[in-house]
Amino acid sequence: MSEWQRKNPLEWQTYVNKEVKVTAAEKHEYKGWVLTIDPVSANIVLGKLMEDGKISVSVILGHAVKEVEIGNEGDDEMKEQLAHLFMPEESKAYGQ
Amino acid sequence: SSSSISTAGSGNRADLEREQQGRVELRERYLRSLFAMAGHTVHFTMYERVNVSASFDASDIDILNFQVSNLQTPLGVHREALLRCSDIISYTFEL
Repeated sequence: MSEWQRKNPLEWQTYVNKEVKVTAAEKHEYKGWVLTIDPVSANIVLGKLMEDGKISVSVILGHAVKEVEIGNEGDDEMKEQLAHLFMPEESKAYGQ
Repeated sequence: SSSSISTAGSGNRADLEREQQGRVELRERYLRSLFAMAGHTVHFTMYERVNVSASFDASDIDILNFQVSNLQTPLGVHREALLRCSDIISYTFEL
């Protein structure tokens, strides 16, 4: 089990709502805002706003994570958007 | 998976509860991301530079397997398939 997979939920929570660069197996790299980290699988869920207004969600599997670098912290508006992204009742209002 | 109930120190009750609360919040968001993904086309990056896409149907609770349909592979289309999560590096979808 990697160092990343061994972290506890409080450590993982420090990454939520931050912009990160994840280096994964086979030198794949991912950038985006951390939406959550599954405490069971250590999978990292990243969100990225696209130019067409859609949101691209990328998930890096916990076993494939090599390194996570923290960049910017989201402002309050960004945090609000990220927090409600998957909530069914909010999704309709999201695009308004 | 994190098998130990506490990693937050020597059994301090407040720490344990904080850790458990954090686990709940992270897990709920992850499960909601799976719900949001159902029925969407998902692109999977597998080991050995293999890329496939499929419509996501379901996952098991331990996130060990994904059930997908219309799996597009270099060798053709599989109507139903199970992907082992240990073979996957990442997956991407749009909302």
